[in-house]
Amino acid sequence: MYPFGGPAGAAGSILPSKINMHTTFLVQERNKAEQAVQESEQRYKRLLASVTDYVYSVTVEHDESAATSHGPGCEAVTGYTSREFEADPFLWYRMIHSEDRAAVTAQAERVLRGETPPPLEHRIFHKDGSIRWIRNTTVPHKDELGRLIAYDGLVSDITERKRAEEQLERAYAELSQNEAALKTALQKLETANKELQTTQLQLIQAAKLESVGTLAAGVAHEVKNPLQTILMGVDYLANNLPGGKNNTTMVLSDMRDAVVRANVIVRELLQLSAATDFEPKEEDLNGLVERSLWLINSEIIASQISVVRKLEADLPRVLLDRNKMEQVFINLFINALQAMSQGGVLTVTTRHRRFGEDLKMSGPAFSQFKLGERVVIAEVQDTGQGIPEDHLPRIFDPFFTTKPTGIGTGLGLSVVKKIIDLHGGAIDIRNAPLGGVLVTLVLKTEPEAKL
Amino acid sequence: MKNEKKRILIVDDEPSITRLLKLNLDQTGDYEVATENVSNAALATAEEFRPDLILLDVMMPGLDGGNLAGKFQASPRLKGVPLVFLTAAITREEVRARHGVVGGLPFLAKPVNLHEVLGCLERHLGAPRAPVTASR
Repeated sequence: MYPFGGPAGAAGSILPSKINMHTTFLVQERNKAEQAVQESEQRYKRLLASVTDYVYSVTVEHDESAATSHGPGCEAVTGYTSREFEADPFLWYRMIHSEDRAAVTAQAERVLRGETPPPLEHRIFHKDGSIRWIRNTTVPHKDELGRLIAYDGLVSDITERKRAEEQLERAYAELSQNEAALKTALQKLETANKELQTTQLQLIQAAKLESVGTLAAGVAHEVKNPLQTILMGVDYLANNLPGGKNNTTMVLSDMRDAVVRANVIVRELLQLSAATDFEPKEEDLNGLVERSLWLINSEIIASQISVVRKLEADLPRVLLDRNKMEQVFINLFINALQAMSQGGVLTVTTRHRRFGEDLKMSGPAFSQFKLGERVVIAEVQDTGQGIPEDHLPRIFDPFFTTKPTGIGTGLGLSVVKKIIDLHGGAIDIRNAPLGGVLVTLVLKTEPEAKL
Repeated sequence: MKNEKKRILIVDDEPSITRLLKLNLDQTGDYEVATENVSNAALATAEEFRPDLILLDVMMPGLDGGNLAGKFQASPRLKGVPLVFLTAAITREEVRARHGVVGGLPFLAKPVNLHEVLGCLERHLGAPRAPVTASR
């Protein structure tokens, strides 16, 4: 029996078409349903991808957590589904980064004690193995007697924020390093700039001295002739003005002294310009010292100072410009005499050593000598007042003088140093331990000289 | 009668220097002094004056002291007359360091005082003598 008609006939022809229509309808409906499911799945996936929070709930019995349920958003945050958490009650603990477990446990214990701890940020291992940062905020629930019966936790994925913070910290650290490096570079630049300025000033000063030296020779002649006239005039007046007038004698004496002072300045300016003419020859330093002492013999006698000589025999010959070195020793001897206006002892010493054997030769003045190098040393020591320590660094500056006004122009030691520099030697001036000033000259010997 | 005063010729282009030096030397009574400020005329002046010593400046316009010294020494009338250079071109210390002789010639460094000039004259000419009646 065909409920809807026989295989043939009108009733038979209507029945198949109705079945077909129904089938088509069912297929269509099925397709629609499948499509709806697909769209729903896609919407769910999109929704899941945008979820960064989820809620978990913990049931508390007898002050202990009895059960935990994780909301559907847990998969987006942790990679694990709610069912996976249900199936493995300790999954949440194993998920926590080992370095953060103590803090997480401590937070849970505080909640179970009825406290409301602040939100905790810690790391977890996502199901895919990556480390994520989450923020866990707990909210306790209590009964009418104030007993904790449950608590909820809001878990937020803050990985992106943490990464941004870390990047910011790294950038800030890099910036600080760059800033420190920039500051260091800036300081170095400033130091180099100052050194450059100092060098420029020194060059300018040297150029000034050079031009002064060049000018000096011409000026010396133009100044010395009028000085000669004045001196001759003073001598004439001294012999021809009425005698017995003390003021006249004093005035003429002052004029004579003024001419002498002016001549000293001119002389030292000439020496400054003449220092570039350098003619060294093999000389005996002891003989040169003796000659220099002889040249100022009248000054020594007038000063009532005793001279002690400690001149080592058989000094090696040294290449010296004799006239210039005599200038050096005369200058040092005169300085010593002027420092001992109340009398004293001038000691002159010469010896030859290998550099480094003599402990007195220390300091930047001797930096050009190599250890073991053969040198000849001359020392001039007085028993005067010494030089104020704060003056010593400037002792070789042109026109710097420690002497009272009218005694010396301050050019002497700058010329002395220039002459020693020309000889490739070194000069050191310091206060002697027992008083007075010790001047040390160190000169290189001839290569073939033997100790 | 003639005093045996030594005859000194001063050659310097500065009139004030020659004038004052002459005044001072005249005043000693020991020297007869002539001066010349024009170096080109100094040879003729010297040959006429016949000095016992010539004080000679070095840096002068025209003929400088060095060249003039050569002319003096080449002159038969002046050959052997001591020459002393009086100059600003050298320092007292250099003169002292070289014992008053530079390049074989005696030097006085300006500014010199009268005492130093007199000492130099004595070294080269001997101590001044008392006036004598003998003629030259």
